[in-house]
Amino acid sequence: MKPINIRICGFGGQGIVLSAIILGTAAVTKRGLYAVQTQSYGSEARGGQCQAELIVSDSPINSPATQNKDILVAMFQSALDAYLPSLKPNGILIVDPAMVTDLHNTTARVYSVPATETAVKLGNRICANMVMLGYFQEATGLITRDDVVETMKELVPERFHELNERAIDAGVELAKGTQIDIF
Amino acid sequence: MSQPINPLRKYIREGKLPHFFCPGCGCGQILNAFLQACDELSVDPSRMVIIGGVGCTARIPVYLKGDVLHGVHGRTLAWATGIKLHKPQTKVVIFAGDGDVASIGGNHLIHAARRNLDVLVVVANNFNYAMTGGQVAPMTPSQVRTMTTPFGNPEPSFDICELVVTAGATYVAREATGRPVQLERTLKKALTHEGFALVEVLSQCPTNYGRYALRSGDPAVTLKWIMDRCITKAQADKLSKEEKAGKFVLGEFVDFKRPIFCGSSVYDLESCECCE
Amino acid sequence: MATSTTERAQRVLTGTHFMLGNYAVVEGALAAGCDFFAGYPITPANEISERMSQRLPAVGGKFLQGEDELCSIYALSGASLAGAKAMTATASAGYNYMQEGIGYAVAVEAPIVIVDVQRCRGENFASQADVMQMKWGPSGDHELIVLAPSSVQELFDFTIRAFNLAEEFRNPVIIMSETTIALMRERLVIPPAEEIEIVNRRYTSLPPDKYLPFKANEEYGVPDFAPLGEGYGAIYSLNPHSEEGSIDWNPDVFEQLYKRITGKVTQHRDKICKTQAFKMDDADVALIAYGSEVRPCMDAMEMARADGIKVGVLKLDTVWPVPEEQIIQVANHVKLAITVEMNIGKYTREVERLCCAKCRTAVATKNRGLVHFPEEVYAVIKEVWR
Repeated sequence: MKPINIRICGFGGQGIVLSAIILGTAAVTKRGLYAVQTQSYGSEARGGQCQAELIVSDSPINSPATQNKDILVAMFQSALDAYLPSLKPNGILIVDPAMVTDLHNTTARVYSVPATETAVKLGNRICANMVMLGYFQEATGLITRDDVVETMKELVPERFHELNERAIDAGVELAKGTQIDIF
Repeated sequence: MSQPINPLRKYIREGKLPHFFCPGCGCGQILNAFLQACDELSVDPSRMVIIGGVGCTARIPVYLKGDVLHGVHGRTLAWATGIKLHKPQTKVVIFAGDGDVASIGGNHLIHAARRNLDVLVVVANNFNYAMTGGQVAPMTPSQVRTMTTPFGNPEPSFDICELVVTAGATYVAREATGRPVQLERTLKKALTHEGFALVEVLSQCPTNYGRYALRSGDPAVTLKWIMDRCITKAQADKLSKEEKAGKFVLGEFVDFKRPIFCGSSVYDLESCECCE
Repeated sequence: MATSTTERAQRVLTGTHFMLGNYAVVEGALAAGCDFFAGYPITPANEISERMSQRLPAVGGKFLQGEDELCSIYALSGASLAGAKAMTATASAGYNYMQEGIGYAVAVEAPIVIVDVQRCRGENFASQADVMQMKWGPSGDHELIVLAPSSVQELFDFTIRAFNLAEEFRNPVIIMSETTIALMRERLVIPPAEEIEIVNRRYTSLPPDKYLPFKANEEYGVPDFAPLGEGYGAIYSLNPHSEEGSIDWNPDVFEQLYKRITGKVTQHRDKICKTQAFKMDDADVALIAYGSEVRPCMDAMEMARADGIKVGVLKLDTVWPVPEEQIIQVANHVKLAITVEMNIGKYTREVERLCCAKCRTAVATKNRGLVHFPEEVYAVIKEVWR
């Protein structure tokens, strides 16, 4: 397994960093994989657009900084505008169509996941990141649905558990029939 | 006929004598009053941690048999904070000059008083930086000539007692070397106080303050200059603000109890009113 | 110090974690027996104070948020002399303020541990620009022990080592962290408590009237401690002091004191200086790096080897004192040594003096808030190696 370079981006408050932490924690503590998660922490990290990087591998990871990402998950237009150049030309781009409309004629393989719309239907748009997580694990097979749910419960306050679990399952549902080959 | 030996010499590091204070300096009187207070209270200074920063006053601890921290300017209360948090049963006494504790160490002073750290701070106020040769200090009176105010001190001076009272100190008093009986009584009270205690002692520095500000190296001149300006708190209470200007008010300013600082604890939350 | 088994279990979170670097430092400190922490808010080190404030009181330690860095660093010495295993954490600008307190701790031989998360001036981007300041910050003659972790796991491991070295040598030990690893989450395996080696300071067995606070048994030895406030009458002064603690000036005493205080570190390099060599046996080119910069070097090494250039990596786990023997050994058998660092080129001067007349030297620098990409390191190798 080659190290998989993932970048998740959006705007502050969407739970972008939390998504990366849940993915990384599940990969390391449930799957025995290696993961490195970093985030921008300059003045730009407060409020405006936001991004988290995650590298997952089955062997120890050296460089924490990579120029080209295999996967970009974009949950906001301006974040996509900023980070699309870091995606490999044949990389994987996962977008939320309610938040991202202009894909700049990308050559990447595009997957459209209505995470925000689904979250609103579930009663709270705050769980859009969980819909995306559910989708991501199901479509890529990197980790399992139970890994995601268990890790979420370890890291998130209890009052969000029920909503988040439903959101993760809704994401799993959206991924049915889709297989993203990341290996 | 042999000379009588001061019975308080048993608390002194014999090997350190003779001391380095100038003839007529007030530091010896402060040391004497402190040891007299300890002796009468039967508290052994050799079981204490005695802290001095940098300056003439900061040398007082070096003559005492206790454990001593010394040699860095202004950080006496920072050291004390670490010691008291880790080993609260340790008795900690600080000897500091006005430059050490009111200028470079001013921030630590304010916050130690605010926290009500359980220490005694004895401030020898000699109105100047003496060890470095007589420069202006925060407690130098206005208009006074020093080595760095040749045209007179353009700044107002500090009232350190008022400062720490406001910051939250629980025992604060001012005395003068010219009143040894009252000084010793005050130190006795301060030594037994639980919480932040500060005693300011007006102290003569004939070598630098005397020579530059008062144009005389005679200790009696500086001592008289101090004592002429001293009034008791009872006298001061009857005077207007204008009448009190330029006077040093002696006496106790506060003496009360509140919880002493011992660092954060997991059990604090239960008794914290704002977290209920 | 941790004594009961329950407390030990609370201190050591045995297991596999995906943990933030700053948190790993806290866990390492608790595992090592840290029982006093004082700090002042500064990014990107705040997560250390925050977690400490939560974890330390629960295991019987004391947490203090000082009014400034000076309070923190001197409170450390105070607590340490009173017997505590004491630590502070700060970032570049805060480390500036702490220099005088570090100098004091050196002079009175107080074991303290300082974490410095290097950053770019006021911004929280990655940097190794303070590698010289780590050691040369305080005035006066001194030696400091500076460890350079490269990963979250090493932040945990090296923090334990920092406490052990501080206790053994009665000297400040600095953990040179960086934004890169401090704010990184990574796999961390915490071993069972009983597998963690802990070193505690040596206390004197002499009665107070026989005890000399600064007397060591060997020329470059470490004096035994006496408990504070129990009648031992030690003077802990920054001023030059004799074995008895007397602070009267004597040039012979002063010279002897600093010969021992610096010598106890430099003469024990074999115990203190650690490095790791990767594929160095057949290497023509050595990449010499410390901290997070080791990581892109490892990738660049593989890239170069795939192209037929025999590259090895020397990772400096200890940056001060300089692991001279290990660097000389590398210089003796490679043709080119490239120092890779995230600043304008500083530590390379130490490497150059050791490589002088033995091999060629070069430096790969980067000073733009981000660790090197492997491609950038490889580009330097290709440019310099012919």
